[in-house]
Amino acid sequence: MLQWLQALVDGVLVGGVYAIVSSGLSLVFGIMGVVNFAHAEFLMVGMFVAWFAWAYLGIDPLLGSLIALVVVFLFGAGIQRTLIRPILKAPQVAQIFLTVGLLFCLENGALLLFGANYRSVSTPYQTESLRLGGIIVSLPYLLAFLMSGLSGGLLWAFLRFSRTGRAMRATALDPMAAKLVGIDTDRMHQIAFGLGVGLTAFGGAVILPYLTVYPAVGAQYVVLMFTVVVLGGLGSVAGAAVGGIAVGVIQAFSALVFPVQLQNLVLFLVFIAVLALRPQGLLKGASA
Amino acid sequence: MTEAVASPRAAALRPGRAVLIAAVLAVALAVPLGLDPQGYPIRVLTLTLLFAAMGQAWNIVGGLANQISLGHAGFFGIGAYASTILLRDFGLSPWLGMLAGMALAALAAAALAVPTFRLKGHYFALVTLAFGEVMRVIANSWSSVTGGPVGLSVPFAPDSLWMFQFGAARPYYYICLGALVAVTLVFWRIKAGALGYRLRAIKENADAAEVIGVDTFRAKLQAGLISATLTAGLGTVYAQFSYFFDPDTIFGVATISVRMALIAIVGGVGLTFGPIVGAFFIIPVEEFANAALAGRAAGLSAFVYGAVLIAVILLKPEGLLALFAALGKRWRERRR
Amino acid sequence: MSAILSVRNLTRRFGGLTAVNNVSFDLSRGEVLGLIGPNGAGKTTLFNLLVGIHKPTAGSIRLDGREIAGLAPNRVARAGMTKTFQNVALFQESTVLDNVLTGGLLHEDVAGARARAAAILDRVGLAGIAHKLAGDLSFPERARVEVARALCTRPAILLLDEVMAALTPVEMEAFLALVRTLRADGLTLIVVEHHMHAIMTLCDRILVLNFGGLIAEGTPREVAHHPAVIEAYLGKAYAEGGADA
Ligand SMILES: Nc1ncnc2c1ncn2[C@@H]1O[C@H](COP(=O)(O)OP(=O)(O)OP(=O)(O)O)[C@@H](O)[C@H]1O
Ligand SMILES: [Mg+2]
Repeated sequence: MLQWLQALVDGVLVGGVYAIVSSGLSLVFGIMGVVNFAHAEFLMVGMFVAWFAWAYLGIDPLLGSLIALVVVFLFGAGIQRTLIRPILKAPQVAQIFLTVGLLFCLENGALLLFGANYRSVSTPYQTESLRLGGIIVSLPYLLAFLMSGLSGGLLWAFLRFSRTGRAMRATALDPMAAKLVGIDTDRMHQIAFGLGVGLTAFGGAVILPYLTVYPAVGAQYVVLMFTVVVLGGLGSVAGAAVGGIAVGVIQAFSALVFPVQLQNLVLFLVFIAVLALRPQGLLKGASA
Repeated sequence: MTEAVASPRAAALRPGRAVLIAAVLAVALAVPLGLDPQGYPIRVLTLTLLFAAMGQAWNIVGGLANQISLGHAGFFGIGAYASTILLRDFGLSPWLGMLAGMALAALAAAALAVPTFRLKGHYFALVTLAFGEVMRVIANSWSSVTGGPVGLSVPFAPDSLWMFQFGAARPYYYICLGALVAVTLVFWRIKAGALGYRLRAIKENADAAEVIGVDTFRAKLQAGLISATLTAGLGTVYAQFSYFFDPDTIFGVATISVRMALIAIVGGVGLTFGPIVGAFFIIPVEEFANAALAGRAAGLSAFVYGAVLIAVILLKPEGLLALFAALGKRWRERRR
Repeated sequence: MSAILSVRNLTRRFGGLTAVNNVSFDLSRGEVLGLIGPNGAGKTTLFNLLVGIHKPTAGSIRLDGREIAGLAPNRVARAGMTKTFQNVALFQESTVLDNVLTGGLLHEDVAGARARAAAILDRVGLAGIAHKLAGDLSFPERARVEVARALCTRPAILLLDEVMAALTPVEMEAFLALVRTLRADGLTLIVVEHHMHAIMTLCDRILVLNFGGLIAEGTPREVAHHPAVIEAYLGKAYAEGGADA
């Protein structure tokens, strides 16, 4: 019993991070209709930015996450301008394979620049944990969860209340109408893409205290992110939050039942099942 | 008047083109005679023919049915594992193992198609991506049967057509050439036949296709089954040719699934000769890049690979054949 | 006369909107039935229900005595009913011949379908553009190709959704003549059209739809003088002259 409770806690903590890294993917799809197969690579980029900020400037990754957000936002906005914008109206084959090409370039670009080494940080709270009854709450997991929750709340408030956020949602709903009322949809796309990949990079930075970074780390997250997003409904940012927690808990529970190698299998099967049964997501109707 | 209208468009080849195809085929048959049967060039050519056939098999789904699969490695690996395991455990001829693999792949494709046939575009790509990954995870973890992450080796046998094993590359070259011709013929027959018309109709307007009587589920299922079956057969050929494979290579997204699609896209999606042109561009370039660069900078060749993909899509999304056609036209106009 | 199609209590809701509301009618073999109503009345939705593009929320559709409500469109086509699309849904990157030929594949192989398609193109006066791409055609040409493609499926009932919308008066007369010959060959038709002239001269009987429900039914003459119809169309009558393009 305690074992399951512990798994539930672990699952929710990890799921919170999944939620924030996947919400960027959902945002990009919701606002520009592009499924970014390269999205998980920006998590890797964010981890590297935070690692370098820690290694050379001594900045804790939890703070470095803000640097990662800003740097990757600018990087993403540039990529949107040069690579994504030209294919917004292209056939889906072109959209899919452009982002697949981007995935290869980012992963192998990192390999070329940084080598295949695994890098990690050391922080004072790395091995700390809290005990609540019989449950152990690891401090770095808890901090990553809190940072994710905070940024998720800010994203929600931004989309809901700020001028830009509202203009972005209008663009998502009806680009033609948005143009008519004077919204610069092109700029909205650029901000959305930058913000989307920036949030994912942010998520990568906050998990750095308990994980290691290497160029191929993104590959671990590709199907995971899509599972989260599809569970919550492609394009729904609020859905990504629910989907993230759900995936975290599914993973933690399946770890109790199945051998380690099969953990991802459970995830993939959930993913295929959800796509087959409810491609519009489990929360249809409750939009972002 | 009716006569002129009824003249079949795709049913017969133009004479000029038939001559060209015959000539290319003759050259393809003659080339190995001038090459060292054990050498590196013939191995690269063999691999190119095999990948051209794979791109062609993908083209049936991706090009004709417009279903963008990112999981064909799943079928490819099923073919490789099925024949190799049957050979290892029962001494079964890989030709028979190939049939078993093809049947298994057809089952897998049907199982995948039934719940997902409504999915289009991105969703279809995502499901197939996950399917390939599921196969990879299974092959990695079911060690007692698949050998696990270490991979499988084809048990050694003396040269024999029946056991599909040869010391030299030359017989494999001819087998791959035969496979390419066979898959291309299948593709061409589908494209010019009723299924081709149905698939084009679905691709261009699925609602309208249904309303005039096209069973969209059935047409997509047919295309998917044929494509998966052929891909599995080629997986067996690959296993016999390379003697050794592991789950991450044979079920790989980058190594197989995306490469199959890329070959079709670079040459020209949906065109009969697209994957052939694509393979003869991509595979030699890759081999060259690997030989020249891999030792010095890990990741460079894969980086270049991604860059080529991006460049093709941004500059000439219709593929190389369209580029050649445009260049040829300009050249003819210049001469006039 | 025997009813080839009988529709009972057909209803379709989209969320809170009832696009087709409790519609019942019979269609006799060989009849030409007009379906009119203001924009948004539910005419296209009714067609989509009949051919199976939308599933009914409630109600029954019997074709030759057989229940077809809820069948996939390809099954309905096989049973003998098909339609043209108001917003024109041709296979843009295929030739006119190939568009029409695809309809013929319902009952024939490629060679048979090609011969049938060629004959139909001759008949509707499109033989000259058989090898043009559908995407390159003018609007009136497209509408004709829509009709030819639907005819190639050898339907017993053909539903025409505003195929005459962009025709000049001369073109329209030619089109009306074509429809009459189809009818003479035994085809049963339901025609949606905003052109009152076309509807009045072509149809044996007219149904009037407003806000998803049938508000009147009768001969062209009866319907034209029906108070509910005049009310539904008031305002529209003024616009009739110029706003129809
Ligand atoms: N797929 C759909 N989802 C939601 N609402 C729909 C859908 N299709 C139609 N509607 C709504 O149903 C109502 C009827 O539309 P329909 O197209 O059937 O009208 P119509 O009589 O054909 O009009 P028109 O003369 O303009 O062609 C409209 O309010 C329309 O917005
Ligand atoms: Mg309409």
